[in-house]
Formats: sequence, C-alpha cells, structure tokens
Amino acid sequence: MVGARLPLLFCCVFLVGALALIGPAFIENCAAQSAAEVSFVRDVKPLLARRCFACHGPDVGEGGLRLHGLESAVAELDSGSHAIVPGQPDESVMLTRIASEDEFERMPPEGKPLSGAEIEILRNWIAAGAPWEKHWAFVPPVAHELPIVDDEVWAQNPIDAFVLARLEDADLSPAPPADKRTLARRAFFDLTGLPPTNEQLEDFLADDDPRAWERLIGGLLESPHYGERWGRHWLDLVRYAETNSFERDGAKPNAWKYRDYVIRSFNEDKPYDQFLREQLAGDELDEVTEETIIATGYYRLGTWDDEPADPEQSRYDEWDNIISTTSQAMLGLTVECARCHDHKIDPIPQADYYGLLAFFADVTPYGVRGDEETNSQWDLSPPEERKQRQELRQAIKSIEVEKTSMEEVGIKRMTAPDQRQSETPDRQKLLDDKLEKFLNPSEWELYKETLARLAEAKQQLEKLPGADMVLALATCEPQPAATHIMQRGNPHVPGDEVQPHFPKLFGDAAPQIPASSPDAHSAGRRRVLADWIASPDNMLTARVVVNRVWQHHFGRGIVRSSSNFGELGTPPTHPELLDWLSLWFVEHNWELKSLHRLIMTSNTYRMSSAGNEKALAMDPTNDLLWRFDMRRLSAEEIRDAMLAVTGELNRDLYGPSIFPRMSQEVLNTQSMPGQGWGDSTEAESARRSVYIHLKRSLLPPLLTAFDFPDVDASCEARFVTVQPGQALTLLNSEYANERAEKLAERVAHERSDLSEQVARAVELALSRPATEAEIAAGKDLIARLDAKHDLAAREALRTWCLAVLNMNEFVFLD
Amino acid sequence: MQEKTRNFCGRTRREFLWETGCGFGAAALTSLLAGDGFGLLGGGTAQAADFDNPLAAKPAPLPAKAKSVIFLFMYGGPSHIDTFDYKPTMVGMDGKTIEVKTFGRGGHKNQGRIIEPRWKFRQYGECGKWVSELFPHLGGCVDDIAFLHSMTAESPIHGSAMLMMNSGRLQSGNPALGSWLNYGLGTVNENLPGFVVMLDRSGGPISGAKNWSSGYMPATYAGTVFRAEGSPINDLSLPAGSTRERQREVLDTLAGLNEQHRQSRVDNTDLAARIASYELAFKMQSHAPEAVDLSQETAATRSLYGLDQEQTRDFGTRCLLARRLVERGVRFIQVYSGGAHNDHNWDAHGDLVVNHTKHAGATDQPIAALLTDLKQRGLLDETLVVWGGEFGRQPTAEYAVGTGRDHNSFGFTMWMAGGGIKGGVSIGSTDEIGSKAVDAPMHVKRLHATVLRQMGLDPNGLSYFFRGLDQKLVGVEQVEPIAEIV
Repeated sequence: MVGARLPLLFCCVFLVGALALIGPAFIENCAAQSAAEVSFVRDVKPLLARRCFACHGPDVGEGGLRLHGLESAVAELDSGSHAIVPGQPDESVMLTRIASEDEFERMPPEGKPLSGAEIEILRNWIAAGAPWEKHWAFVPPVAHELPIVDDEVWAQNPIDAFVLARLEDADLSPAPPADKRTLARRAFFDLTGLPPTNEQLEDFLADDDPRAWERLIGGLLESPHYGERWGRHWLDLVRYAETNSFERDGAKPNAWKYRDYVIRSFNEDKPYDQFLREQLAGDELDEVTEETIIATGYYRLGTWDDEPADPEQSRYDEWDNIISTTSQAMLGLTVECARCHDHKIDPIPQADYYGLLAFFADVTPYGVRGDEETNSQWDLSPPEERKQRQELRQAIKSIEVEKTSMEEVGIKRMTAPDQRQSETPDRQKLLDDKLEKFLNPSEWELYKETLARLAEAKQQLEKLPGADMVLALATCEPQPAATHIMQRGNPHVPGDEVQPHFPKLFGDAAPQIPASSPDAHSAGRRRVLADWIASPDNMLTARVVVNRVWQHHFGRGIVRSSSNFGELGTPPTHPELLDWLSLWFVEHNWELKSLHRLIMTSNTYRMSSAGNEKALAMDPTNDLLWRFDMRRLSAEEIRDAMLAVTGELNRDLYGPSIFPRMSQEVLNTQSMPGQGWGDSTEAESARRSVYIHLKRSLLPPLLTAFDFPDVDASCEARFVTVQPGQALTLLNSEYANERAEKLAERVAHERSDLSEQVARAVELALSRPATEAEIAAGKDLIARLDAKHDLAAREALRTWCLAVLNMNEFVFLD
Repeated sequence: MQEKTRNFCGRTRREFLWETGCGFGAAALTSLLAGDGFGLLGGGTAQAADFDNPLAAKPAPLPAKAKSVIFLFMYGGPSHIDTFDYKPTMVGMDGKTIEVKTFGRGGHKNQGRIIEPRWKFRQYGECGKWVSELFPHLGGCVDDIAFLHSMTAESPIHGSAMLMMNSGRLQSGNPALGSWLNYGLGTVNENLPGFVVMLDRSGGPISGAKNWSSGYMPATYAGTVFRAEGSPINDLSLPAGSTRERQREVLDTLAGLNEQHRQSRVDNTDLAARIASYELAFKMQSHAPEAVDLSQETAATRSLYGLDQEQTRDFGTRCLLARRLVERGVRFIQVYSGGAHNDHNWDAHGDLVVNHTKHAGATDQPIAALLTDLKQRGLLDETLVVWGGEFGRQPTAEYAVGTGRDHNSFGFTMWMAGGGIKGGVSIGSTDEIGSKAVDAPMHVKRLHATVLRQMGLDPNGLSYFFRGLDQKLVGVEQVEPIAEIV
C-alpha cells in the first residue's frame, strides 16, 4: 500500500495551492516539445510537487514515501516495495499506481488522474535512471568557453557569441541593426529615461566616426540623468516610499536623502558590492561616513504600523519586510514562505529564515507612536552640538509628560464628548476654554509654571544651530535577545533558538560574528551578512544583479523572474551567458557602467525590433533574442518625456521631494483631504518624476495609470498594461492638456508656417522628421476643427499637439 | 473552464505576461493570442475587438449564486448591541462596573462601566428578529437577511482593521476583495469599471486609496472612485471647452497616425490594443455619465431611497447608484457610510446616541430601499449585499463619564442578503453583553470566503502567484464559507 487515504491536512492545502502554478497545459507543452529528453528540474520536480507532495513530501510521508529527495524517494516503502526503481519503470510501484484504472488504487486520490503525457514524463525519467539534478541557480557560476559561431563578424563581443550560438542552433538569424535614429532614442531612454534633444540627436547623426556609438553611450553614462533612471530601478526593488502607510500614513522625514544617495551611487559608478555593503551595514563598516549612514536608510523604507493591535506581530512583520526585500532584491530568493514552515520547494528550512532574521536582530523598530526620531533619524551634526540638543530634547519630553498628565487630571473631570475632543486636533482649544475650570487653584498654578518651563526649554533649543538629520538606522540593539524559530510563524510561540547563519543551500561555512563591545552602537552581525552577500563567492548576488541590468536593457531578464531564482522561478534562457556575465562583472570590480558599455556595444543590443515571419513562428516570445523587443515607456518616462518635448523640463538634480498639483477629487479620497501633500511651484513641479513625493496612500494618478508599482513590496518588474483609463488620462487630464498647450506654444514660437508647426510637434515628440502623411493629417485635423467646429487656429494647433502626445510612437520604443 | 483561464503559472496569460515585464509581453502575445484568432502577421485595421480586455468576463469556475456584490461599509464600526445584537439582560445594568476583558483604541482593560443599549428593540418579520429602533425601515427586510452575530477581526484599530475587512490582511499592499472578484471573474460591462468605490461626502476613510488598492496585482483590478456629482470618474470628462464631436475628430486623426505606425509592427498586438483602448475610452465617456443620470428614475423610486430628504439624500443617492451599476454589470460596488474622522463616521467614542442616531438615520431608509428595490426588480437573487463595519463596539464606556464606546474586534455583527443567502436567519452569538463572540466565532476571512463562494469562486483555489507563493484572499490555511446561511 503506497498511500493511505486521509483528508488533506491544513499545511498541505497551502502546498497544493503553491504548486498549482505549474499548470497542466504547461506540462503538456513541455512533453510535446521534448518527449525524449525529460528534464528533472523543468518537468519532473514540479509535477511531483504539485500532485504528490501533499501526502508524500516534506511534511507527510504516507506509506513511508517522501518524494522531495532522492534518498527518500527510492527508499523501501512500508509495504516492502519501491515507488521508484531508477532505470526500471516496470518495477516502480509509483507508475503502476498512477496509471491504475481502479479508482481506489489510483494515485493521487484527490483531483483528476495524471494525464497520459504526465505519466509518460515520469516513465521516461525513471527509465533514464531517475536523475536528481540540483537546481541551476544553486550551483555556483561556471566559467564557460565562448561558443564557436559561424558568423564571426556579427559576434563581435562575447555576448553576441552566446546569443548567436543559440540562434544558429535554431537556424535563425539575428535581426539587422536598427538605424541610428532609433538607436539614439533607444539609448537615451534606456540610460537616462529621457528622449534626446534635437541637438543631441543631430550631433550623433552627423558623427560618422566608427566610434560614434561608443561615444554616445559614454556621454550618456556620464550624464547625471543616468542615476535618476537607474536609481529608480533600485528604488522599485527596495519598495522606496516616503510615508509609513496605515491609518496616519505619516511622513518619513529625510527619506529623500536615501533616494539621492541611490542616484549619486549610480552616477558615481559605485561598485555594486560596496553599494550593498553600505545599505546593509553602513553603520558598521571600517570607514563609516555620512554617506554610508544615509545608506542605512534602507532599513527604514518599509511600511510601519504606529498603532499595532499586536505589537509583537508587528515587530516580526517589520523584520519580515526587511528579510523579504533583502533576499529578493539582493539574492533573488523568496524566503518568506519559511517564516511559517520549511519552504516546500526550495531547500530553505524554517531555521534558515530565522537564521537570517538573527542577522537583523539589532534592527530596532521604525519607532513608537509619538517618537519616530530616536530609532530612525540620525543627527549628523557635530557631537557637542548633538549632545546639547539631545539633552534639551530629553528635558522637553519630560516636561511635556508632566504637562500632559496635569491636563489629564482636568480632562478626566469633563464630559465624555469633551474627553473625546481632547483626543482630536481640537485638544488645545478645549484646554484653552475649559482646563482652568476643571483644575483647582494650586493645580492650575503648577500647570502654568510647567508651561513656562516648557517654553524656556524650547527657546533654548531653537537657539542651537539646526540639526542635520537623516533617515537611518539611528538606534540599534547592540546586545540583541536570542532569536527563536517561531512555530508556524506565530511570534507568541517561540521554538528552538537559532544563531545567525547563512541559508544552508549555499553550503557556506558558519559566520564568525565578533563579540560586540559593551558600548557598541550595533551588534556587528549585519556587517558579516553584508560581506557574505557582497562577496565574489556568493553564487547568487552577481548573477542576480547582472540579470537585472540585462532586464532593464532588453525588457526582460535572462531569468525572467528576476527576484526569484529558486525552483518556482523561470529558468534562464541563456544560462551560460548569465554565468559568463556575472564572472566578468565581478572581475571588473562590480562596476555597472562597464557592464552597460559591454551590453550596449553588442550587436545583440543594436538589433532592430522588426519581426520576421520565420522567427515569429519559431520563437514568438523572442526567447532566443533574434530581435530587440519593443517596449512601452514607463510611467516616469512618459511624464518626463512630455515635459522634455514641451521644453518645460526642469533638470535640477537631487533635494527634497516635490508635490505636483493633485486634483481635489483625488485629494478627497483621503480622510483628511490634502493632508501630507504639499504645494510646489510650477518650476519645481516640472522636475523629473523620480523626485515626486511618494505618499503610500496617495500615489499620483498619472503614474499609477501607467503601472507605477505598489510601493509596499519589492517590485522586480513593472506591469505593462493597456487600458482605457490610460487613454482618458492622456486625452482629458488637465496635465496632458497643459502639456499640449505648452507644446503648441513652443512650436508656434519656433516656426511661423502652419505646416512647419505641425511638423515640428512631431519632430520634437518622436525624435524624427514628420512624414508627409503626418503633416497632411495634422493640417487636415486643424482644417476640420476650423470648418466644422469653428475652432481658432491656435486652439486647433494645441489639439494637434495633444494628438501627437497620444501617438503610439510617443509611448512605444523600437 | 477554470483551467482555460488559469493555464499559465496559475494566472491568466495576460497577467503572466504583465508580471514578467515589458518587452516580453509584446512578443509573447503574438503566439499566445494566435490561438484566439490573431494572425501572426495579420495586418488590417485594428478593431475594437482586438482589445484583449483583462477585465473581460470569465465564467465562474463553480456554480454561482450571485453576479454582483454591494458592500455597504459602515466605516468607524457600528455598535452591534445597539443595532442588531439584542441584549435584553443588559437592561437595568447601566452604570454598573463589571469585570470584562476589552481591547480597543484605549488598550487592554479588565473592567468597565456598562452602557446599556440606548435604543429599544422590537421584533420584525416572520423570523421575529429583534432590531433596534435605529433601523425601523430595515426592520421590514429581516426576512431577507442573514445576520452574523459572532464576527471577529484581528485588530481593534481602524487602520489595520479596515485593511483586514477590505483585503484580509492587517498590512497594506494586498488586493482588495473587489480586486479579487474582478481578477477571478472579470466584469461584463467593459464600458464601466468592474470595481467601484463610492465615498462619503465627508471624505475618504483613513488610509484612503489603500482600502481599494489592487496591491501586488496590476492596477487594472484596483477600485475606481465613482462620484454622483461632477465627473463620475477621474479624467472622464472632456477638457474644458471641448466637445464630443471635436474629440471624435482627434481620435480619428490619432487612429490614422497609429495605424500607419502599426503597419510595420503588426506582430506587436499591444499597439492594436492601445488603438482599441481609445475607442473604449470614448465609449466609457458616454456610458458612465448615463449610469449616474438619476433623472431617469421615477419620483417614487427617488423617494423610496430618501432622495427627497436632507438626511438620507447623500447615502440614498449612492445606494440608488449602486443598484444602477449592478444593472449595468459592475461586479463589485463598495458604498461607504461615514468618512473622515470622529463623528463623521460610526466611530462613537464621545456621544453614542448622537453619533448612531445620525448615521443610522442617514442609512436606514436607503438600505431598506436598496433591498426592496433590488427584490422588486428581480435582482436581489443575483446581488449579494453585505453590511458592516471594520469591527463593533464595546459594551462598556470608554470614559469615566458619558456613553462613548471603544472599538471591539472580539465580537460584532455583520449581515448579508441576496445572492443566494438565506433570509431570516441569525447565526453565532456574543456573550450576554456583547463583549466577545462565544458561539461559533467567525473570522473576517469566513465572510470573504462566503462572498467568493456565492460568486462562483473557490476561496481556497482562487490564487495569484506573488513572492514565490500562491497568494489567496483568505490566506494560506483552508477557510470554509459560512454554510449555515446559504
């Protein structure tokens, strides 16, 4: 008897759900594609996991069978027989059971029987000796030889060799190179998120030097707009926002300094390993600088409940937020499942989750209600000044406590509605009106004295020079309490104690944590973690980041699930190339700009986006990279490009965030309309989108319409949706109409003749001369608006400009 | 049918493409949509039909009882023992200090001063349900209603409790119930949003848009704020001075330009989709205003909903709009009673009587009208109506003086009607003073599971792959719909 029929346990239900993502259609496709060669990782393991693990997996081993590891899968069963006998399908009881016609005999007992194709996969795999391969990502990168290709001329850089080799194997040819104009637009948006100006474009077109393209890329990499574009990719990953979410969604003061730190790091081409070290342990490095302290703002970006129903739960939620962001963004691993139980698919036991948590054990909560400063705001001003300020603040705080308790004495004697009012913004008014009446004379005197002392202390504080505060890991637990595995993830049910340790799937030696001195600021554990993550020997870090760089150049990573390199992720399309790039990157000092240069000077990057029938039929998803994929501009690019073509774009760099105007209707969705939203000048509002204040509960509709991500969780790749709401935004919004007006102003100013004005709008928006047909279309629209709608010429020109800003070519890049 | 829509990593093909990023979507669609009648290099003019609407209606995988949901959200937390949870033994206890464990905004307490229910109760309907004087109109509908008296939530704090009632989690970043329904079922009217939120005149609830966010799902599934006055949806109205005819001219020109651009890029179906999306937007501009045009309603109907009285006009208008949206196929409609802070909503910390008199007075007749109207139009059978707040209120006083009650997530009442729900039943109970659920406590997730199930979705099967996990509205562990009321 291989398995007894028992109801599914709770924990298994999750399992079945988690595995349902490998749909049957997918399995069948694979089987059809490669009946002969069955891949354990691609075909067999997901099938076992999805249909068998619930009763024969990591949690349950009914009948003595556990299919999640080779040893247990081939072991003798309770019945004495063997489910799997490698190389001998006919001896393998599993195959008999899954293929059985007898409903009571057949496995699995629940759900539909396995399909013929699925049974065939398992049969072929067992026949081939039941090979149990290790997941590709959990094997360190290998230095691969460059493949030999036929077309050596095309394969001018190593990337091309890897790409071309696969294309030649598939009998496909790479697309021809894109024209210079297309390439320029591609490179400008890619590296800076902005279109080229006409002058920049003309310069490049006029440059016949064979090195013109390299020069263009070099110039763009030196542009400070590069950091604005590529820094934003990082901000997506670390779920950057400037408020805490929840009821009050209060601001995180100085969050923008972290944003500037990220942009500067990209602009300075800071080695990526250093970039990670600074964020994870900027307060623990050999050389701690203002910059590395600001980098620890990384720990303060998440959501935070200032009024948690269950403080312990909330504390662990905060840690979870840090662990999941760090593991996804830096290691490409989703470890959150292991918060409650061993990961069902990836080899991540629950102990490893808490082993990671132990590294972060000294990270204090963001704050407590009423004090969001102590833990999260670091004063960078001189120590003496800081000390004085701290003392005064302390004094003010204790006087305020005295003051409040005196007030409460009076308030407790008031009516319920008044008591209620004391908890509202109208508290002061209530105190002014009534407190005296509800205190006896001596209490009142004492109260007045306290007020005077408070005023005096505040005055002294004001006389000191202003603090230089930054969002950072200002306070740590240098001697953190022991970390325990929390049973079923419940923070109230601690289990075994765990030490900080690296996930065992890496096979690395246990970390050596130096003992922290009694007066230490922190526990010194994060530094150890940072060094391990940012090590050339870490088998995932470099692969994960080169894959992300690839993703943003080509619209998708070599591994499409760029934050999940685990077994539930998508396998790489070019595994050797990925390994090669990661080793090259580490050899080149983890410098991103070198990597951009390498990628962008490849022929692979310079291909046209045009389709061809043969390749579309064979490889419609362009897995093999036979062309460059078109892409829709991101939300920020659309907004910034509009400002750029109208000439309004304010190219100022860095600084506090901006608050572009938001309509009253949008503000009215808040419980206090307008709260937490400022009012920037017109010039400030014309700055780049990366500088817009990100309030979690009030994201700008223009950005969210074009798939700006939810900022509560790490985002590996933006959605690209097409929906009518976007059309409404670009046609009807005040913002789009104002941009159209500005574009009309500009073309009317720069050109006098109507045809030229019509053409100029196209030229500015699309970085190319207008076609005759477009000029005709524009003039025709203007004529119709005049004839049928009696629209003044200038207004008609504005309407044409609006149409241009709505063109597909404006938002899609070849 | 479910496999057809969920054949790619547990998601629909579209979502799979979205999640995997930009360029891939464009190329991948070529093949994936080939089976749907899209030629590889088809050419021709893009038609509106080419718009592969992610909200296109999908058949429910399980037999469905309801097609739409109206969630009447009593923001702030109505007091159950003053409304539908009859506590006759409390009469005479007023002012008595008793031992009782409570947990609210004011923290954990072990004793408190009883505030007797401030309204008299009487029996209604064939089922003989006891309802307080606050709801004389609704009392007439009890035979259509199933009362859930033993609801529990995980937080007695507005922010997290609102998120829990709307998205099943205490933390933000997760899709709302309406997002899940649109993800699972789509919506039958592509000219209107599938998930509509109508806010109180006084403002949004705390956390604002987080309450109708699509979280980790595409924004397509997020709630759309819908207004009874002005432009119903953001950016729906034409810019000042423009006319529909003029916009038509622009769209015609634009379509021509986009078509030229597309001719050499026909394999990128996103381009055709975008062309089609402009036509759909143009249609929406006429459909949405029509949906809010209450002049089409008879005087009798308007009066039924209380549009002729100051007190009930605002909420009544939104209830009437909800019915009109249901008629037009909108999948999920959330109507807020109460907004902003303090006594602008049901959060009766100060004077219970003033607060609840105001909010019950504004909603009693409109809600009764909604149930009656849906029923008389034959719509109640396929429309699930849910009533309740993010929690209930405590039996004891919050302050030394006065009648204010603090929050209570240990036990509270919600009710459901229509959409296959049994009428005239009451299940679960709180203790004698309503301090906590004692008989058959029901977590908010059970309510969510029931809504999904009535809509033909399997609450333990409907999932969305994110962060390496098949995420579900009801969470990881099996959650059963409330069988006793269906």
